Amino acid sequence: MDHIFGRDHYRVIALVARIADLTPEEAGRVTDAWKQTSPADRARAWTGLVRTTTETERYQILAAASLARREALAAAHRMQQMDWAFWAAASDAAAAVAAGPGIGTPYQTLTAPLATVMPSLAGRPAPAQTRAADVAAAARGSARARKSASTP
Amino acid sequence: MSNPIRELSDAFPDAVVVVDSQGKTIAANAQASSLFGYNERELTNMPVKALFPGQLLTVPRQRSGHEDTGRYFEVVGTRSDSTRFPAVAAWMPVLIDHFVAAVLTIRVIAESQSAQFVLSRGLETLIWEGQDRQSLLRYLIKAREEERARIAADIHDDAIQVISAASLRAQQLGLQLRDPIARQVLGKLQETLNLSLDRLRQLIFDLRPPDLESGRLAAALRAYLEEMRSDSGIVYKLNDRMTAQAPDPVALLIYRNVREALTNVRKHARARTVTVELLDIEDGCLARVVDDGVGYDPAEVEARPGHLGLVLIKERAELAGGWCRIESCPGTGTTVEFWVPLAESFAEPGAGRGRAG
Repeated sequence: MDHIFGRDHYRVIALVARIADLTPEEAGRVTDAWKQTSPADRARAWTGLVRTTTETERYQILAAASLARREALAAAHRMQQMDWAFWAAASDAAAAVAAGPGIGTPYQTLTAPLATVMPSLAGRPAPAQTRAADVAAAARGSARARKSASTP
Repeated sequence: MSNPIRELSDAFPDAVVVVDSQGKTIAANAQASSLFGYNERELTNMPVKALFPGQLLTVPRQRSGHEDTGRYFEVVGTRSDSTRFPAVAAWMPVLIDHFVAAVLTIRVIAESQSAQFVLSRGLETLIWEGQDRQSLLRYLIKAREEERARIAADIHDDAIQVISAASLRAQQLGLQLRDPIARQVLGKLQETLNLSLDRLRQLIFDLRPPDLESGRLAAALRAYLEEMRSDSGIVYKLNDRMTAQAPDPVALLIYRNVREALTNVRKHARARTVTVELLDIEDGCLARVVDDGVGYDPAEVEARPGHLGLVLIKERAELAGGWCRIESCPGTGTTVEFWVPLAESFAEPGAGRGRAG
């Protein structure tokens, strides 16, 4: 079967895993970066994203965006740092990652805020490199999260 | 099985059964005997389907052209003691003594793979359910609009005509009455009839805003915003920067979504001001409704049932080939923004959707 988040399923999973591990300072940077993007540019990016994808791909993109948003919302609650720009940034980035870097400018626009703390999102490295880097980052993140969870 | 083939299949790590064109087992390796719990003699002549009861298993009859040739597919095997196990299997047609036989290799799925298999199936089911739900919703939205139009037409063509006729007759009767008390009662009756007419006309307006019918989306929204201001005191700002005219179904969708968002502002936001913006973006309309109300915690509100208005806004936009964002935080108001293409892209329920897998 197709993966639920499409071709870049594992990059989406890695991104979502990393969101859970962001520090309040990193979340603040993402939030600020998101607010610096013009709403019209962001709207154009989303529009580009939905227009260049099939209905099935859109379903996968929206599923990725929804999962990342929920994860970011939960992270914001844990950090007691409620600003919807943060989970909107997570949702934008996951949607773009699910659509893939091939969509061009919309990818850059939508991933830019989260890329301030996840640099691997920003460029267009070879998919294998990106995947390996993100999975490694996610694994480091999960390990840190486990460590901090076990610390009283 | 001849010795070289026997040796080859016994050396194979997977269970292997050789099946004739009738679907009967003609040979099996030791791994197959061990896996299914039958000895080779018991397996010989056994229909291969008995090893996988209730499953579609098409035996290849030619050396090429069979869709499952060389490709693993999921099956559930049944052992001699009736216990079942998940596995993947692949067909490979071979020529033995001038007739085509099919070699079926069966690989048991390990526990973690089995869990992944179950998860994949679960996700597949969820995707199907989601697609069915969207198709149903698309149908319901369309049916709801059609029903609204029908009710508005019925009210206009029937109820309003009947009440108007009754009002005229009451007027005629008034000319003939001399008794002042009777005239007073008739006056009250006429007032009631006129009030009924006003209410029915308002109902038609709510069901099919006349401005919308004449292609004036912003005017229809302004009328609703004005009504909201006079009822609730919420000050509004309408910023219409649309240059293109939306086709009727798209304009109706935008109107319904903005109105739904405004209804939420009215009911829940405790806002002082609300801003509605309409913009041309990429051959579509971007609509934004931003209030300065109390906002809400999405984690709390979205986790409980009953926020159907918000769901409908999102679904309507997405079904039309657009996107939607609804965000809020306690104390920061709420923003609803959605984009829909101006070219109509409302597909019929279920159109363009296929179930993969």
